[in-house]
Amino acid sequence: MNIIELRNITKTFGSVVAVNDLSLVVPKGSIYGFIGPNGSGKTTTIRMIMKIFFADSGTIHIDGNNHTDQRLSNIGYLPEERGLYKKMKVKDVLMFHGELNGGTNLPEKINKWLAHFDLAEYANKKVETLSKGMKQKLQFIATILNDPEIIILDEPFGGLDPVNAELLKDAILDMQKRGATIIFSTHDMNMAEKMCDQIFMIYKGKKVLDGTLQSIQNKFGSDTIMLQTELGPEALEGIDGIERINNYGKQQEIKLSPDADTQKILTQVMKKTSVSKFEITKPSLNDIFIRIAAPERKEGRS
Amino acid sequence: MNKIWILFKREYKAAVKTKGFIITLIIVPIMMGGSFVVMMLTDDNQDIDDKHIVVMDYSGEVNELLTEASQERNETGIFNQETGEQVEPKYILEFVEPDLENPFEQQLELSDRIRSKELIAFVEVGKNVMAPGPDTEEDFIKYYSEHSFMDNMRYWFSDVIGNYSRQKRIEALNLDPELTKGLFDWVNIEGMGLVDVDKKTGEQQAAEKSNEFQSFIVPYIFVMLMFMMTMMSAAPLLTSVMEEKNEKIAEVLLGTITPFEFMMGKVFGGLGVSLTTAAVYIAGGVMIASNAGYASLISTNLLIWFFVYVIFFVIMVGSGMAALGSTCNDNKDAQSLQFPAMLPIILPLFVIVPIIQNPTGSLATTLSFIPPFTPTIMMVRMATPVSIPIWQPVLGLALVILFTVFTVWLGARIFRTAILIQGQKPSFNNLIKYAFKG
Repeated sequence: MNIIELRNITKTFGSVVAVNDLSLVVPKGSIYGFIGPNGSGKTTTIRMIMKIFFADSGTIHIDGNNHTDQRLSNIGYLPEERGLYKKMKVKDVLMFHGELNGGTNLPEKINKWLAHFDLAEYANKKVETLSKGMKQKLQFIATILNDPEIIILDEPFGGLDPVNAELLKDAILDMQKRGATIIFSTHDMNMAEKMCDQIFMIYKGKKVLDGTLQSIQNKFGSDTIMLQTELGPEALEGIDGIERINNYGKQQEIKLSPDADTQKILTQVMKKTSVSKFEITKPSLNDIFIRIAAPERKEGRS
Repeated sequence: MNKIWILFKREYKAAVKTKGFIITLIIVPIMMGGSFVVMMLTDDNQDIDDKHIVVMDYSGEVNELLTEASQERNETGIFNQETGEQVEPKYILEFVEPDLENPFEQQLELSDRIRSKELIAFVEVGKNVMAPGPDTEEDFIKYYSEHSFMDNMRYWFSDVIGNYSRQKRIEALNLDPELTKGLFDWVNIEGMGLVDVDKKTGEQQAAEKSNEFQSFIVPYIFVMLMFMMTMMSAAPLLTSVMEEKNEKIAEVLLGTITPFEFMMGKVFGGLGVSLTTAAVYIAGGVMIASNAGYASLISTNLLIWFFVYVIFFVIMVGSGMAALGSTCNDNKDAQSLQFPAMLPIILPLFVIVPIIQNPTGSLATTLSFIPPFTPTIMMVRMATPVSIPIWQPVLGLALVILFTVFTVWLGARIFRTAILIQGQKPSFNNLIKYAFKG
């Protein structure tokens, strides 16, 4: 069952087409990742789902209901830009957002979540005294406080250290276990690969990818080599059949040209250096993203 | 509506539960009423420094008269009769022979003495001052000082010389002094209100003496209250909405509430602050007026009208301010809009005096039917002792309600579009575009 359905959505700002004839279905209970370069239309799409913007054409159905001007209390929304009343106390901010979303048993929930995110001691402190990461966690609590059925997170991991990112990730997975549907936009391809049931990519306002990670990777075939050598990227100099190298430092992700001979490449590399990893694989989401968003770039080619 | 209420509560608490609000509550009336306080204080603390004045008598008849009159005044006329305390300054007169050859040089020398604070004034008494007639060139009394229009002592010279000259002219008629005694006494007119009959009890209500409190201070207080109510709550919405837009609070909230709910929550929050402040001031004002014996000047009807007009005025101005705030990107934008946006609040202040003087005149009546000015102007008119037909405040209120609905509608259309738009200047063209095209 689909909980969100977008059909042929178009949104323009003046002469700029931000979202162009976009259709999308989000299955209930899934974690759905929105990826795309900056300015590609992710936030506009999310804002239309949230009814902050209204589409010029097309329809949006949420939980079977047509889009109206009424706000839905069963959606939790964490915008890309965090915004909290800085003069309010932490618990008052949460109470305010909880009440706006029609929450019940709020004091109990607030205490539980503040403790979960190590913010209990800041309950009576003003928001302006918190660090950026703490504010982000606070905003996340405000989003999920009422156990919404749909949680929309725009760049939830931005600015968080690994420990707090882990806390957030666990909370998102817990929400999914509870039955919530989660949509999140991210530039962290690694996180998207690991967390998302389905991934949707938007580029210049148009949908360019939509499906499970496996189905997306299958479209691109096994045209990638993950290579780890003593010499590093220099070992690949002058070797034919390489279209592009993504250099991660210790490891290189090689996009092969259609006529490439992998055995020949391996032989040539082994002549130059010792090889500790040579894996023929499907492209990573990061590489797919770059292929779509910046096809002309030849990263790391030496 | 529930979400507007939640936002209202937040806005109200955020404004009222601050030290700034308490301080403003105390300081603003002090500032507004400051001029009255100063007047009252200066009434009790008269300037009693000796006043040195030079007299140049072209008539040759007043030197002795003024010497005696000033001596008498300085000995008996400048003290409070009950306490014996000196309450007015002594007049120390210096008589100088007029320089008929070069009067300007003499005037210049005396003017310089005044500038150096050696003298307070000099007085020229004309040649024919004892027998004023058609030739006015010679029957003058001229008082020269740096602030001659405001110096009340000039009247003392006029009274002393005028009374003496009148006395001399009567004497010249050889009339019996007994017959002329009291010939020029007169009675001052007293300003009275109107008599009335209490509609409930049938009791006859005698006319009361009209005074400056009734005629000027009560309407003035209502104008200032109306001004303060909007300045304290509606006007700050411009910068407050701009800040919430720039700090992305608006976007967070718009995921949960509609732009209209957001705007109205803020406007009603401001209204709550206004009504709280008004209630505090009105309660205080009524108590003070009751203690001073002026309770009858502030009728319940007047207070009801005041609160009704305040409610619509704050909503009207507040929704406009919130809408304009939503179009601003920074303080510079806000500053450029602040003054024109506040004109409905400020403009009535410029016409208070003519309206208080003639509350049923065409200026007052016309302005009181122009909705942005109606709340203030109509309140001034109703607060004066002059009665105005009841249909006028009723019609004024109807127009205000209609205009408020229009302002809220227009403000909401601008707000819903502009609140998420960054980088666009709040130009007139953009405002029109937001309002009518979205």
